Order: sequence, then structure tokens, then C-alpha cells
Amino acid sequence: MNWEIVLLFVAPVICSLPIAFYWVKEPGSDRARKLPMLSVFGLFISFVIAIHILLMYPNGTYTIPWLPEYNINFVFIFDYLSKYMGALTAFIAFMIGLYGLEYMKHDYRLGWYWFFFNMFTASMLLVVYSDNLLMLLIGWEGLGLASWGLIGHWFRDDDHLSYVGIVGRKVGPLKMYWPPSYGGWRAISTIRVGDMPMFFAVAAIYALTGNLNISQIHWGALFTKIGLAGTVFLMLCLLMGPFTKSAQLPFSEWLMTAMTGPTTVSALLHSATMVAAGTYLFIRLSWYIHPWTLHAVPGVGVLYYIVLLLGLFSALYGASVAIGCLERKVLLAASTMSSLGLMFGCAAASYWYGKLAVLIAFWYLMTHAFAKATLFLVAGHLIHATHDRFCCGDLNLARKMKTAFIATIIATIALGGLPPLTAYWVKAGMDTVMHHIVEMVGSLPLDLLLITSLLYSAFLAKFLSLNFWKGDKYRLHLHGEKLMPLAYACVVSMVFLLLYRILTGTDPLVETHLLEYGLDKDSLIVGLGVTGTYLFALVVPRIRALSPIGTFLGDRMYLPALNDFIVPSIGWAISKLIEYTHRAIDWFCHFGLPDFMLGISRRIRAIQVGYMRVYMKIALAFVMAAIVVSMLGWL
Amino acid sequence: MLEFSAVLALVVLTVGAACSLKDARISLATSLLALAIVLAAAVSTPQLFMYVLLVIAIGVLTVFSMNVKENQMSGVDYALVALITVITVYVAYTSDIAFVLAAFVIASVPTYALIFVSTDGKPHVDVAIKYIAFMVLATVLFIIGTLLLVYSSSVKDTVLYTLGFVMLILGLGMEVGCAPMHEWVPDVFSAADPLPLSVIASITKIVPFIAAYKILLLTSLPQLNNLTLFVAFIAVISMFTGNIGALTAKETGRILAYSTVANMGYIIATLAVITSKNYLYLAFAGALLQLIVNAFGKASFFASIKTDGCSRPLMYVLALSFIGLPPLMGFWSKFFILTSLVGAGLVWLAFLLIVNSAISIPYYLRIARNLAKDTVPGKVTAIALVASAAMLITVLPPNWFINVAKLVIGGV
Repeated sequence: MNWEIVLLFVAPVICSLPIAFYWVKEPGSDRARKLPMLSVFGLFISFVIAIHILLMYPNGTYTIPWLPEYNINFVFIFDYLSKYMGALTAFIAFMIGLYGLEYMKHDYRLGWYWFFFNMFTASMLLVVYSDNLLMLLIGWEGLGLASWGLIGHWFRDDDHLSYVGIVGRKVGPLKMYWPPSYGGWRAISTIRVGDMPMFFAVAAIYALTGNLNISQIHWGALFTKIGLAGTVFLMLCLLMGPFTKSAQLPFSEWLMTAMTGPTTVSALLHSATMVAAGTYLFIRLSWYIHPWTLHAVPGVGVLYYIVLLLGLFSALYGASVAIGCLERKVLLAASTMSSLGLMFGCAAASYWYGKLAVLIAFWYLMTHAFAKATLFLVAGHLIHATHDRFCCGDLNLARKMKTAFIATIIATIALGGLPPLTAYWVKAGMDTVMHHIVEMVGSLPLDLLLITSLLYSAFLAKFLSLNFWKGDKYRLHLHGEKLMPLAYACVVSMVFLLLYRILTGTDPLVETHLLEYGLDKDSLIVGLGVTGTYLFALVVPRIRALSPIGTFLGDRMYLPALNDFIVPSIGWAISKLIEYTHRAIDWFCHFGLPDFMLGISRRIRAIQVGYMRVYMKIALAFVMAAIVVSMLGWL
Repeated sequence: MLEFSAVLALVVLTVGAACSLKDARISLATSLLALAIVLAAAVSTPQLFMYVLLVIAIGVLTVFSMNVKENQMSGVDYALVALITVITVYVAYTSDIAFVLAAFVIASVPTYALIFVSTDGKPHVDVAIKYIAFMVLATVLFIIGTLLLVYSSSVKDTVLYTLGFVMLILGLGMEVGCAPMHEWVPDVFSAADPLPLSVIASITKIVPFIAAYKILLLTSLPQLNNLTLFVAFIAVISMFTGNIGALTAKETGRILAYSTVANMGYIIATLAVITSKNYLYLAFAGALLQLIVNAFGKASFFASIKTDGCSRPLMYVLALSFIGLPPLMGFWSKFFILTSLVGAGLVWLAFLLIVNSAISIPYYLRIARNLAKDTVPGKVTAIALVASAAMLITVLPPNWFINVAKLVIGGV
């Protein structure tokens, strides 16, 4: 068991080292271009072990000593969440690895790419399986680092195909296009904003409880101890990590410009796994905090209400942006943000609804991961085939890329929530949850969820329609790819596996709940509404009359101003302030203080005139003054 | 035993001084013999032996610094310096106020003669007048203050006690050169001959402080609590005047003058702790150690001025000790002083002392740079070598010194 767990994390990294080093020595040589096979083999090892863990391991924790005297150890947890999430991560990573063999074949920087790709996979698995918050942080930082490395993979910024936005376009002071190098920087800088409070929160949790294992900490006792304000502050600090990593408002911009990276990266990191790590952590925390039993503890309710609204508003924002967006990957990125918001919202509803809400959020996470990864992989294939980042294509293209076309249809239907495919049942669960909590928190969450769902199916249909039916003109450059269609076909087939589990009620925890909710009358009405908007958007993917609104939404409601204008302006102001402070300090040290001292020193020495009578006058005057004052009772 | 050794030492000194009219070397030998007698007698009080040893070491160094070059009263000067040394040793053994006062006078008066001497035949009359005038005034203030303290403490008269305390502190300050009664110090230190200054600036500073401590402890009234602020006031003025004044002084003698003013400020600051039972001995240990550092350093520096410099590493060791670099002795003295000030609740004074230590760094380095030259064997080099070695005896933390200091003011 021991070696297997270690191998799970180490195999991908070790297998990527040959290409990483060999590429430095002989970049682009034929031999070097064969080594990525080995990297994918490393991913395969992880995949096999993850499946083994899923099927064979008993539930529980497994500890490898690290700092036992501080009660800090490598603690791996194998429970419902981590087993599924681990298998999902390893599977998608392996599939995208396969896809990448073909997609990245002619790239100029394979050593960099495969090292970070595999390191990412290992980090993600570490985040998934770790129960210890400190160990999780190590993986968490690996995610951030890999994200930076892979988004900025095409660091030369020489190919406009890797940009985000229309090159050269400006709105006011804002440049509305972003090169890969800037995308990488935006990602790492945003994520660090969240990671810093998260570090301190983890440290505070350790200081307060002496324990770092999520499943062992007595969360209720901790929250009672630190009171309402303490709970909200501590947990918001901790959740700043998930919020930034999962691109919730207002930290969403980095995810949009993360699309400057290779499409494999967008598919693996920025849809299926890394961004989901934030929601996964929140789900895992909620799973063990048991918020539904903590209604008597002040602060927990406030915290979950904040997360609920933040998630749902982010979901609506993401869906609106996706509606207005015409760039293939950016559209999908916005939709990813929207989905992550739904997961946060649904998991947060567990405070009122109970554990099932967390489970539903997790099932949505899985469905979304498979479907969205498929859509990204298709988008990557389309960009490869049409040399265009923007949606374009018609039925002729659909005929030539049948697998892509069919995979897109399945993925959009399965993810959009159209009955009877997978997301319908999961979304029906969400509808029920939000409907149930109307009594407690009002109808706002339910309204937000419904609007988001309608928009969501609409832009998925738009994506399908504009790429395979009613899109702009294009030029086709097919190269006879084999692995790429295979990979996304495999990934998309997984939504059927999930569907099978739901329909047969064989999952031990979800059982037949989702089936019941899906057959509910209200859910069916919502399902019909979603189907209606899907079909409408399929036929009318663009409404020219509304294009100003579309532009506003597609420009992400000018939220880029936050990252590109407001925050930098504050930064410049601070740096100016520091510069002036430095000047003041310099002046003080070089002129102010020395001149002052010189003046006093001269004055002190001025009394040394050499005349006895002067000296005696001063000394005696002081003696007399001291005596007189002391006699006046001053002393 | 003690009384006998004291009398014997004085007889030896007197005979030696008389014989020095014939040959100055006789007096040098008898002075050293008298100091040896005192050191031998101190074996009977092993608790105080380290104090006696350090004082005798300073005494021998100053005797030899008078020996660097011949002057008008060569021979007698050795005896006078040895006399000051002997009284500095014996003042530690007494708790009799009359004897303490006598010691104060005996440690001071020989310098009236020494200040005149020169090595070029022309006595420094002008400077000597300034010096003597201030010393006489200081001695008078000190003695009147003491008498008032003794009387008022026996009749519990707080008004007279206050007056006595103020006069004692003023006398002490004027005697050792605290600001704002320091006017004589820069003039004398830059104009007089460096050789007698190596005595005046070093060993003669010890007795006044021990005397003041003893008198104040023997006559203490509760009123004393309210008066320590006056001491702190003088200390602060003295520290700042000395350190800032030294910053722009160029002549080495003048820098040393201001350095003395500053050091006397540090030391007089410890008198503010005198009412704190717990920290009194630590404070006095700091003061005494600082006096010893000052004595070793000043004796070597002034002797070096006479020969236009001395060995470079030795000058830097002494300067760094004055600055307070661990583990040199100057660090421990300041450390004791600071700890006692903080312990007695005078954090602000401790803070000002640290600020002053920082201000002092440039000019001590300037002294070392002014005086540093290549090493050549000679009397001054030997003096500086012994002084530098003394600065290094505190490489191990000198906790033992606190017990020594306790006995010095407690009397044996």
C-alpha cells in the first residue's frame, strides 16, 4: 500500500524528467519528440493506481509520519469524495495526455510543457487525496505553479492564435487583448491574493486546534471557541484560496486569459480539475464540518449564506459572459466559472438542506468535468483544424469532423441539463435543494439558479450551432488526427457511466434521490424550459440586433478593468508613495540628521571660548539655579 | 594587616618621593613596591581581590605613562599617582564617612600638582588654573553636601537633605566633568600635557563615584526617591553634550574630553537606580566596570597622543570597547547599566543611553583612526597592550563582577 501511494504521486513527475532534461540538451530532435510517450506512461501509472484505490481500498485514512511530534503527518484520506475525484483526475489527465501527444507534436517547448503537465497531475492528486491541510497546501502551490507555467507556455507571444481577445482592440484605457505571458502573470498574481490569507488561516487553525487533518478537527468546537466574527473571518480567509482558484467574483479574470495556454491545459487545468480543486476543497470541508448540525453555532450560517450568494452570482455572471462571447475557449472558460459558481452555491446550501446538497454539488462537479473537458478538447481540435480562435463552421465541417460533432452534441446536452441526460438529474437535485431552502433564505438563490440554467443551455447550444451549423466561413486544415478524437470520445463517454449510476440508483450515497427529484413535476418543467432555450439558441445562435449587449457581455462587463487598470493604479500609487518615502529617508539620513547634529555640536562647542570667567559664570549659574529650584520644592 | 599594609605603603611612597630628588628611578621602584604591598595585603580579602587587581593594574599603567617622558617633577609624580591608586583601593574597604571624604580629597589633590607638568620645561599654568579652580569648587560643594546629608539624615530634615543631595551631585558632576559643569574638560584635555591627563582622565574618576555611592547609601532618607530625577536630568544632558560635542571635534584630545563627559553621563545615570533595592548592585557594577573601562582606555589613548599614535589593532580594540562591542568589557558595563535602568523602571533613560551609544560610534572610530599607526615596541605600546588585554577578560560573561561591586559599596 505504501509504495503504491508514493508511486501515485511520484510516477508522473519522474516520467516527465527525461523529456524535461533532454529537451534542454537537444530541443526539437527526433529522439526528444518521442519522449512524451514516457510522460504519458507516467500518467497511465497514476491512472491505474487511482482506479485501484477507487475499487479496492477500504475507506479511511492512511498516515506516513512526517513531523509526529507536532502532530503533522502525511495523511491520505480515502473516502467517497477523494476516491471518485482521484479516479476522475487521473483518468482525464491520462486522456488529455494522449490527446496532447498529437496536439503538441510540433511544439517548440515540449520539455517545459510535459514537466509542468505531469507535475500538475501529481499536485492535483495530492490535493485530492490529502487530509492534512499543510500537505494539501503543498499540492495547492504546485497547482498554482503549473498553472502559471502552462498558461504562459507560449511565452514568446508570437502567435496571435494563442492570444485572448481581438488583437489591437482597445476600450478606453483598456487593451482588450492578452498575450500568453500576461495571461500567466495574471493567473499567478490573482491566485496568490487568495493563497496568502489561506496560509494564515491554516496556521491559525493549527494554532487553535493543534491538528491539521480536515477529518479530525472538531470544527464545531473551533467555531464555538472563536465566535461569530472569528468564524466568518477565519473561514473566509481559508476560502480565499478556493475562491481565487475557482475564479469566483471578483477574481474571475485570470481564468478568461488563462485561455492563452495550450488547449490541453485549458481542458485539464481550467475546466476539469485545477479550478475544481477550489470547489472540491469547499465540498470536502463541508463534508466534515457538518454545517447542517451547527445551526446553534454563531457564524456558520452567515458564512454559508455568503458562499451561497457569491457562488450563484458568479454563476450568473459567468453564464452572461458566455452568452456574449464568440471566442471558443473563452466562452467555455466563462461557462466553467459559471459551473463552479453553481457548485459553490449548491454545496453551501447544505447548511439548510443537509449532506445531500454537498453530494449533488460533487456529482455536478464530476458531470461538468467530463463534459467540459470534452468541449475544450473539441474546441482545441477545431482551432487546430480552422486556425481560428473564434467560432466558425458549418454542417460541412460537422460532416468532416463527425466525432467532434457528436461529442459536442452529447456534451452540450449532457451538461446543459436537458432531459434525460446526466446533468438533468443533477440539476433537478439542485432545483429541489434551492426550492427547499426558499423558506429559510428567500427565493433569490432559486431565481439565480433558474436564470443561470436557462442561459447555460442557451450558450452551449450557441457553441454547437456556431461551430458546426450556422457559423462564419472558415478554412479547413485537417491533418488526419487519430488520438485527439479518441481522447474526447473516451472522455465524453464517461457522462453515460454517471448516467447509468444515477438511473440504476447503485451509488451507495446518492441512491435513488436524484431519480426521484428528476421525476418531480417542477423539475420536468424546468427541464422543458431548458430544452426550449437550447433549441431556440441552436436555431438562432446570434441576434444581430442585440449585439451591443453582446459586446458588453463579451467584454466581461469590463471586469478586466479591475485587473488591468484599478489594481495596477493602486500599485503605482503605492510605489510612488514608497519612492517619496525613500527620498524622505535618504534626505533625512544624508542631510537632515547630519546637519541637525552638526548644528547642535557646534553650539555645544561654542561655549569653549577659553575664558575662565565665562566658564565659571556658566557653572556657577547652573549650581545656583539647581539649588534655588530644589529649594522651591520642585524636586 | 590592612592598616599595617596601608601605613607601610604610605611610608614607602614618602621615602621614595624624598629620595627621587637624587634619582627619579628610586621613586619609580618604591611606587611599584607600594602597589605590590597593597596587592599582597588584598590577598586577605579574596572577595575583593579582582577589584584590587584591576585598580593596581590601572595604577601601574598610569605610573608608567608618567614615565614615558621626563618632566619637571619626575619621581614625585610616580609617588602621587601611586598614592591615588592606594586610596582608590582602600576606599573600597571603608564605610566610615570621614574616611570616605578624606579619600575623595586625597584622590583629587595630587592632580593639582600633576596638571602643571610638561615635558618641554614650561609649566601649563593657564590650564592648571582653570582645572584647579573647578576642582576646588567641586570639592567644596561635595564636602558641604556630604555634611548636610549627614546632619539632615540624623535629624530627618527633608529640606536640608534635598539641598545636601543637590550640592553633592553638583560637586560630583563638576569633579568628574558632567555637563553642564564640564566647561573645563575640553580646554584642559586639549591644552594640558597628555601624560598627566592619562592620570586625570582615568584613575581619579573612580573614587568620587564610590564616595558618592557610599555617602548616599549611608545617609539615605525616603526623600531620596524624589531626587533621583535630578540625577537622570544631569545624566541625559551630559550624555548628549558629550556625544554630540565629540562628533565635530577634530583634535584627539578634545574628542576624548567630550567622550569623558559622555561616559560620566552614563555612570552618573546609575545613581538614579540607587533607591531600587533589587537593581542597586547591578547598577553600581555597571558604573564601576564603566569606570574601569574608561580608566584603561583613557590612560592608553592619552599616552598614545604623547607619542603621536600607537599600534593599530590595540587602538581599535580600545575604541570598540568604548563603543560597547561584545564581548569586550565596554559591552558588559553598558549592559549592566542598561539592565539595571530597565529593571528600575527607567526605560526612557535606557533608551536615551542606547541612542547615545549609537551617536558615539563615529567619533570613537575617528580616535582609533587618528592614533593608529604601525606597531613598534615601546612603553606606550606595552601600556595599550595591557589595557587591551584587560578589555578581553570579559569574554566569559563577568557575572562575578556583580558580587565584587556589591562588596565595594557594602564595605568589607
